[in-house]
Amino acid sequence: MARINPDFTEELRDYGAFDPNACYNCGNCTAVCTLSDEDNSFPRTMVRVSVLGLEDEIKSSLDPWLCYYCGECSTTCPREADPGELMMSLRRYLIAKYDWTGLSGLLYKSLTASIIAFLGLAALVIWFGYSESFNLEVIMPQGHLFEMLAIGSVFTIILLPNIIHMWWLSMYKPGVKASIGLYFKALGDLIVHMFTQKRTLGCDDNQFRWFEHFILVLGYLSLLFTTVFLNWFETHNLFIIILGYVESAIIFVVTFDFVKSRIQKNKEISKHSQPSDWLFVIWLLLMGLTAFIVRLFIDLDVLENNSWMYFVHLIVLVQWSLIIVPFGKWSHFLYRSFAMYFQKIKELAV
Amino acid sequence: MKNKIGVYVCHCGGNISDYVDVEKVRKAVENDEGVYLAKTTMFACADSNQKEMVDDIKDQGLDGVVVASCSPKLHLLTFRAVTERAGLNKYNYVHANIREQVSWAHSDDKLGATEKAIKIVKATIAKVRNSEALEPIKVKSIKAVAVIGAGVAGMRAAIELAEAGSEVFLIEREFFVGGRVAQWDNLFVSEETGKELVTRLYDEVMRHRHVTLFTGAEVIENSGNVGNFKLKVKITPRHFKLSCAQGELQKAIDVCPVVVPDEFNFNITTRKAIYHNYPSEYPQLPAVDMKNCTRCGECEKVCNGVDFSQQTEYLNINVGSVLLATGFDPYEPKKGEFGYGEINNVVTLQQFKRIVHYCDDKLMYNGKEVKNIAYIYCVGSRQVDGENKYCSRYCCTATIHAAIDVKKKFKKVHNFHFNRGIRTYGKQEVLYDESSRLGDIYLQSFEHDPPKVERVGDETIVRIKDVLTKDKELEVVADLVVLVTGMVPRKDNSIGNLLKVPKGRDKFFNEIHMKLRPVETVIDGVTIAGASQGPKNIMESMNSALSAATKSFSLINSGELALEPTVAMVDENACDYCGKCEEACPYSAFEKVEKSGKFIVKVNSTVCKGCGMCLPVCPTNAINLIGLTDVDMENMIDALVPQV
Repeated sequence: MARINPDFTEELRDYGAFDPNACYNCGNCTAVCTLSDEDNSFPRTMVRVSVLGLEDEIKSSLDPWLCYYCGECSTTCPREADPGELMMSLRRYLIAKYDWTGLSGLLYKSLTASIIAFLGLAALVIWFGYSESFNLEVIMPQGHLFEMLAIGSVFTIILLPNIIHMWWLSMYKPGVKASIGLYFKALGDLIVHMFTQKRTLGCDDNQFRWFEHFILVLGYLSLLFTTVFLNWFETHNLFIIILGYVESAIIFVVTFDFVKSRIQKNKEISKHSQPSDWLFVIWLLLMGLTAFIVRLFIDLDVLENNSWMYFVHLIVLVQWSLIIVPFGKWSHFLYRSFAMYFQKIKELAV
Repeated sequence: MKNKIGVYVCHCGGNISDYVDVEKVRKAVENDEGVYLAKTTMFACADSNQKEMVDDIKDQGLDGVVVASCSPKLHLLTFRAVTERAGLNKYNYVHANIREQVSWAHSDDKLGATEKAIKIVKATIAKVRNSEALEPIKVKSIKAVAVIGAGVAGMRAAIELAEAGSEVFLIEREFFVGGRVAQWDNLFVSEETGKELVTRLYDEVMRHRHVTLFTGAEVIENSGNVGNFKLKVKITPRHFKLSCAQGELQKAIDVCPVVVPDEFNFNITTRKAIYHNYPSEYPQLPAVDMKNCTRCGECEKVCNGVDFSQQTEYLNINVGSVLLATGFDPYEPKKGEFGYGEINNVVTLQQFKRIVHYCDDKLMYNGKEVKNIAYIYCVGSRQVDGENKYCSRYCCTATIHAAIDVKKKFKKVHNFHFNRGIRTYGKQEVLYDESSRLGDIYLQSFEHDPPKVERVGDETIVRIKDVLTKDKELEVVADLVVLVTGMVPRKDNSIGNLLKVPKGRDKFFNEIHMKLRPVETVIDGVTIAGASQGPKNIMESMNSALSAATKSFSLINSGELALEPTVAMVDENACDYCGKCEEACPYSAFEKVEKSGKFIVKVNSTVCKGCGMCLPVCPTNAINLIGLTDVDMENMIDALVPQV
């Protein structure tokens, strides 16, 4: 027995949902979706439970993560209820619900809160630079140290508990019975999905999008590795230097294309952009671009006279790693991979 | 006795001649007594053959014609017309069916089929040998129509008839016109109120001096038939000779000590024994409800319009046709049906509309503010176990329209529609769209698993297994449960009984043919309009009112009616009145009369349909059917069974 909550769609609108009430349950969206199958039938069911406000159903569902938003459902919908954007909103909603700090929800719902957080962090970085007299020789190693600390703490304090919370909501609470063995057995799926996003290939005519996404993930992860563990900014190894250039270039070139299509709105997926979407693509672009320019300035030996460039990079880096990674759209990457993993376990457990 | 009979045996392409040897049939009958001419033809109904028949009849002076072909349902009238064109009385034509009854039925036995065809044609010839020329029965038709019921359908029909030039008697049982529509506030799609619609029609009715409106009036007797119905009308006085002076009426209502539930508001409010349903109601003269009035006389003291001396009047009117527009009753849920009558916040859609009408800034019911409204559809319609199998047509749209209205009036309200499939057909579909975009929630169940209404603590809960959510059991806490009740036939069927109008399986008045003759009944001269015939919305009622008016007018317009002469006829010498024929007659065409010192029955030939039900019950064999007499029958049997 579930009690209907008609106010829920109002809440969902804060996460970007368009007009789910327009739905008359024809099911065209589910029929046209190439990823939906008999066992995991979506998006109509998700539209339905959203309209009815069955929050427990939504919280325990992994279906929103199984969708890669090709947008076919929204194009086909005779009522313009925009099921694709609803699935996207449900992912934002789920991130907010998984997050034990509650900050995700706040940042998604309130643009003001996001701006305050971004400005606050920028001010903090500038204050730090000021306290160190903007001396790059002191600050750059500190920046490198921050990167390592941020990765470790964001993961252990925020992301790991959130993933456990996700597991609790989607596996434990609904009573999925799976042995430890199955968790090991399905581990391969986690890794494959995390690095390849191969499920996107199931969407129609999305090969190019998949490719862009794939090299972006590779570029991003390897740049992370190159800067953090190979200390790109301070190395003299030519191979590493060039590798860093290539990786950062991949990031800003691909994200530039993403930003462009969000502006042009020529694809279903890029039609609706929430602040969180803009922040993600722009900040990723800035990450690649500023890293590239900083290293260029180092190689041209002009960084000391232009230390502001490093501060720009550091501000972007801090905002990225403390806001977008733990609470923003970056976490999609992680939750989606784990959703795929949990889904596999569920299938194996049956 | 005919001696120049023409016989035509049809091939029907091959439909007949593939199994029946038509040439053999022709030869077998060509020498029969009275047969002058016998032919075979490829298609008897073809224009060329019809022309040949006309020429044969004229040139050879034929006095009887037989065509052996298909079923008389298909071409009897065709060949009757042929004989008429040739100047021969059409009753001298007799049809033989050798296709449906012979070639198609016996395609496995060609010899047998031919033999059977020969017998049938011989029998037909035997009948035509004695045929007589008959003339249609002519009756005078009074150029006046009685329209029963002054709801929207009745008023619309009355206007149409008056405009066409008929005298109209508009007879309304209540003291006020407008019927069910007057009780309805906003109407869907056209966005008028029922009162506005009624006002417009009433104004138009009053403009026509050929319409006479009777209120508080009921037809209590009927004799006569099409062309001349003699109706006796009982007129109950409203006990108001004129309206009260300004302000006095309210005083009269105030002093009246009698308080009764107000049926106009579906009993959600009360009224006094002096009443009018709403201030601008027509006729604009209040009425005294004598069933509840205690005759205390208080009202007389404050208003001199009150007149208790008025008496019941009886009026006899003669009309050529009667148009029934008696409307419907809303379905009254049984006690306990979805909590009705047991849980105090369960109401009907009709009541709900009145509740919304009477609330201003907040939607209140039983002293509580209403936020969640659950509408349960198809209550009393499309019943699985009950008798009402039909869909009431108007209710899906009316409910959604009411839900939109209430949501617009009281923003905080949530609407939940517990339906069995939404039928907002045609242009009304836009309402469904509007309502779902406003956030109304639709939940659907199958007929065998209806929603349940329960009282748990101080909450009323509606539960459903929702088809649209994988049959998941869902619940809503409802502040008000609205039962969407459909239409049922009027409880009081006295006028139907009086006119002997048959009812369909759904107990509404029945038309002759749903598609081809949708407003006529088997009772000649009685037409039906509006929801008396079955559930209809206002637009559909108007359509049927206009066509019923046209049909009624066509019966009275020429002042004379031509009826089929093939009716029953009584041999006055043989009849010793026993009454058995009267019992058997479904049309009440017999009348007991005294003639030459004894009682006999007399046939009212304008009422008789020639069905023949009376023939076999008559112990003295005094009744014959014109056009199919006992002699005809015997002749045909003799032809079919030759004496050995």
